Amino acid sequence: MKRQKVRKPKWMGQGASVGLSMGLFLLIWQGVIWLGEYPTFILPSPSAVCERWGDLIANGALWLHTAVTLREVLLGLGLGALTAIVLGYLLVHSPPAERLLTPYIVASQSVPTVAVAPLLVIWFGTGTFSKVLVCALIVFFPILMNTMVGVRSVSRDLRDLMRTLEANRWQMLWLLEVPASLPVLLSGLKMGATLSVIGAVVGEFVASDRGLGYLLKQGQQLYDTPLVFVGIGTLVILAQSLYGIVALGEYALSRWQRAV
Amino acid sequence: MKSQGLSWVRVVSLVLLLGLGAGHWTACTSERPEVVDETVNRQVEMIRLPMGFVANVQFAPWYVAVERGYFADEGIVLSFDYSWETDGVRLVGAGELPFAIASGDQVLLARAQDLPVVTVVNWFRRFPVAIVALKESGIRSPRDLQGHKLGIPETFGASYIGWQALRTAVGLEDTDVQLEVIGYTALANLTTGQVDAAVVYANNEPIQLTQSGHDITLIPVADYATLVSNGLITNERTLQERPQLVRAMARAFLRGLSDTLADPDTAFEICQQYVEGLDTPENTRMQRVVLEATLPYWQGDPLGWSDLAAWQQTAEVMQAAGLLTESVSVEAAFSNEYLP
Repeated sequence: MKRQKVRKPKWMGQGASVGLSMGLFLLIWQGVIWLGEYPTFILPSPSAVCERWGDLIANGALWLHTAVTLREVLLGLGLGALTAIVLGYLLVHSPPAERLLTPYIVASQSVPTVAVAPLLVIWFGTGTFSKVLVCALIVFFPILMNTMVGVRSVSRDLRDLMRTLEANRWQMLWLLEVPASLPVLLSGLKMGATLSVIGAVVGEFVASDRGLGYLLKQGQQLYDTPLVFVGIGTLVILAQSLYGIVALGEYALSRWQRAV
Repeated sequence: MKSQGLSWVRVVSLVLLLGLGAGHWTACTSERPEVVDETVNRQVEMIRLPMGFVANVQFAPWYVAVERGYFADEGIVLSFDYSWETDGVRLVGAGELPFAIASGDQVLLARAQDLPVVTVVNWFRRFPVAIVALKESGIRSPRDLQGHKLGIPETFGASYIGWQALRTAVGLEDTDVQLEVIGYTALANLTTGQVDAAVVYANNEPIQLTQSGHDITLIPVADYATLVSNGLITNERTLQERPQLVRAMARAFLRGLSDTLADPDTAFEICQQYVEGLDTPENTRMQRVVLEATLPYWQGDPLGWSDLAAWQQTAEVMQAAGLLTESVSVEAAFSNEYLP
């Protein structure tokens, strides 16, 4: 009798892969330190970074700085996404507006955010708002583009069908355009979620006394390289978490598509 | 499929190891950048000097020393690298470069993290940080800052250390002043009333304010505390292995500094070959004033001399402000031995 092979759940396989790659990464990192005998200020060991991380968690500093950055990221992502989605939708439905505004929108992407950030601080002050604006600026373009691509990708046949059923503009939007463009729009949002973290850090680099960007800058100024690594690591975790949350939302919202 | 995944891991690991190994090999085998000057048949030392700031008239002594051939006289070909101050300190500390320009507080911070850097020429003899306020704010002295909003670029670095030293000297508490981090936007914040006073460089923002017609009050930190500012730094290995090179660098630079102090007009003309934007009358006038205002900060007898008391006070202020948590030997952070 042939033995039935027991299949492990998919998530277990993924978890094992992540664990394996992390382990390999740490091993290579430690190996480089053993081989190169680098001092801590050039390349700290994984244990030195973990120790610093532990200290900052224990004294509460990491929570404080992470909370500040997270607040800026969420507000910036919200503002940028909302503006981009509304504008993207309007541009698709208004070709004259698209022709008028597209050159400015594209040009805005060639302006380096690091150059604009100090001006935003001068115009809007050193508080949270200027950092939120930097975040919003960074996430705006990818979300706008994905919104436009998503709305345009709705099939003409489905639009005709909705018209035949005498759907009004709101029904067209809510029952057809939103669900049909959701996968592309959420891809833009995933990209925006990771970029927003960079936006907050850029804003904090200009003028701040708290936040993960401030922590990074402090580490650089004080030659505390483990602190720099802690800042980078926390930012990566933050960006990964935001990406994961949007991906979960995408999974939940696109269940109907998988069922088709 | 499994074998593909495994080969991907192998390729990434191999690339990482090779890349890092190559970097290590390059660092280990990098030779001194020496070339032979065939006209006089002698070794010429190529030195890249991290300046810590953009090309500026405040680097006039360096430009003068290069243009008048003082470095060439010592067998040095000097090139300027306008990178961040902390990067320069790291490169010197790691032994990748022999010299950089950095402030005394950076040297102490770096030494606290085991970077073996040493100041060998104390270029700025007065600490150039100051508090500036518009006359209309009513602020005339440090104690008038009580209850006011004070803008500061960062809560670390020379500005913060300067503020802490001034505050301590006049007996103000941290809570007496509303400190606000404003980055390098003091002019906009002061003129729009978002802050009542700001911590600035005495030879920069105050000049821009007065040139644009504002009446100001200037409170130089150097009037209340003796702190260490910018200087030429090197590392302990260079001091041990190449003391003659350190002496040559110090000698050439101090000749340029001496010439600049004696004849700032000619020094300013030389700056025009190095500093962008000095081609309009307005900029030229402004930058000439900046140079003039900077000269007193370099003067001292003898030029380039480090004062132990200034280093001690700098370390004490940094410790009190929580910036310096490790114990640092102040005596090991500087040396006057290499001055001419």
